[in-house]
Amino acid sequence: MTADNADTGRSLHFEIFRYNAADPDAGPTMQHFYIDETPYMSLFIALNQIRETQDPSLQFDFACRSAVCGSCGMMVNGRPVLGCRTLTADLPGHIRLHPLPVFKLIGDLSVDTGVWFRDMAENTGAWMHTTTPFDPDTREQRMDDELAQAIYEGDRCIECGCCVAACGAANVNPDFKGPAGLNRVARFMLDPRDERDDADWFDIISNQDGIFGCLGMMACSDVCPKQLPLLEVYAYLRRKALTARLTE
Amino acid sequence: MLPGPAQPARTESRRQLIYELLSGGSGLLLALFMWGHMVLVGTILTGERGFDWLATALEDYYVAQPTVIVIFALFLLHAALASRKIPAQLRERKTILKLARGLADSGRGSAYSASEFSVFRPHVDSLLWIWQVRTGMVVLVLGSFHIVLLGVDVLTPLFGERTGIEAVTSLARVQSGLWLPYAVLLVCVEFHASIGLYRLAIKWGAGAMLRRETLRVIEHILLWFFLGLGTVVLLVLAGAIEPPLQFIMPDSGP
Repeated sequence: MTADNADTGRSLHFEIFRYNAADPDAGPTMQHFYIDETPYMSLFIALNQIRETQDPSLQFDFACRSAVCGSCGMMVNGRPVLGCRTLTADLPGHIRLHPLPVFKLIGDLSVDTGVWFRDMAENTGAWMHTTTPFDPDTREQRMDDELAQAIYEGDRCIECGCCVAACGAANVNPDFKGPAGLNRVARFMLDPRDERDDADWFDIISNQDGIFGCLGMMACSDVCPKQLPLLEVYAYLRRKALTARLTE
Repeated sequence: MLPGPAQPARTESRRQLIYELLSGGSGLLLALFMWGHMVLVGTILTGERGFDWLATALEDYYVAQPTVIVIFALFLLHAALASRKIPAQLRERKTILKLARGLADSGRGSAYSASEFSVFRPHVDSLLWIWQVRTGMVVLVLGSFHIVLLGVDVLTPLFGERTGIEAVTSLARVQSGLWLPYAVLLVCVEFHASIGLYRLAIKWGAGAMLRRETLRVIEHILLWFFLGLGTVVLLVLAGAIEPPLQFIMPDSGP
């Protein structure tokens, strides 16, 4: 046994949500697994070990293992986190795992965040709206470094869905654009290449499915694995809604 | 402008902005009023003379009468508009409650949660939102009772010797049992107002000037200061303690 694989002396009790859409009669259940903790064990390592040694039918998603792809979001003891960057050493010995709420369940811990994010992108028009024809021979428009950095902050979102799962409003209102959606709107509002004006933005954000659907619970900001400045984004959108109305 | 939605949608967007501004603005005004109210009622700390002097002055110059009516209107407006964000269905409320409890509990008891990079950073603000709704409901009931009672006192001669607030009848009311609902109202109002101001500040971008932790410290200071002051005032009104500032305005003074 190498040092990296040395036993930390702790036995971990996993309580994992199980549901197989192909076998709906079985109903949703909680299944218990016990494994020995190893140093630097992440949930990615732990779940793979369970699947390899105890139950090959366990469904969960992982791809990059480095908090970039956003596919391993799951509820751990009631909080949405990325499985790959969550170490068991940070957790109590009893670990409850559920799939992220709000999103369509595929099975066990695996959810389809894609449908939600595509709907959000369509509802918010999350692409560059421009009437300027593309000319490959002209140079790109210049942009202040400060503005480019601000736009990049919004672009750092990996669409893992943790903010949406933690959002009280998104959990009860399926049409709410959610933290990730509002962040996306702000990203395009900042971008001078997008030709939508204040009146267009006003219609997108000034409603109960937009910024005024936000309850102000701030969970999105506290769980975001990329620590996006979400609270500043919302304040920006509120002030933009107000100034858009005042300058109409 | 690109081809956008039709005019009814624009009207609705404008209306939603107005609702948000009115619910936040009325909350802000009511919170500011509560601090002023605490200072005014606080004159009971100097004894009955000081209290009666101020009450009579505010009534003689017709400050108290319109204030009661305006505050009651703001109070009802705030209740109507702030409540538009409370989920209507029990199922939805349970969903939010379960989520908030999970978020709060998952951050507790982990030695690593103190780090700002931890995935288990403490999070109680969701639970505080639910308590804000709960205390808001209590304030709506007990606050309405209180405002109507004081409205009757200010506008009619029903209580006491004359039309208006008098220390003797106020003390008698509190001591006859109203100290209990007033104690509950005090705790709920101070909690609701301080959390509400903190949330309002974050919503409109005070976080860019002050860190959220700093805002929370300010919120705690305001909460405990006004809760402490309110408790002393209520104890004096209930006759449990002597007015501590009576030396300023002795009853047998000149």
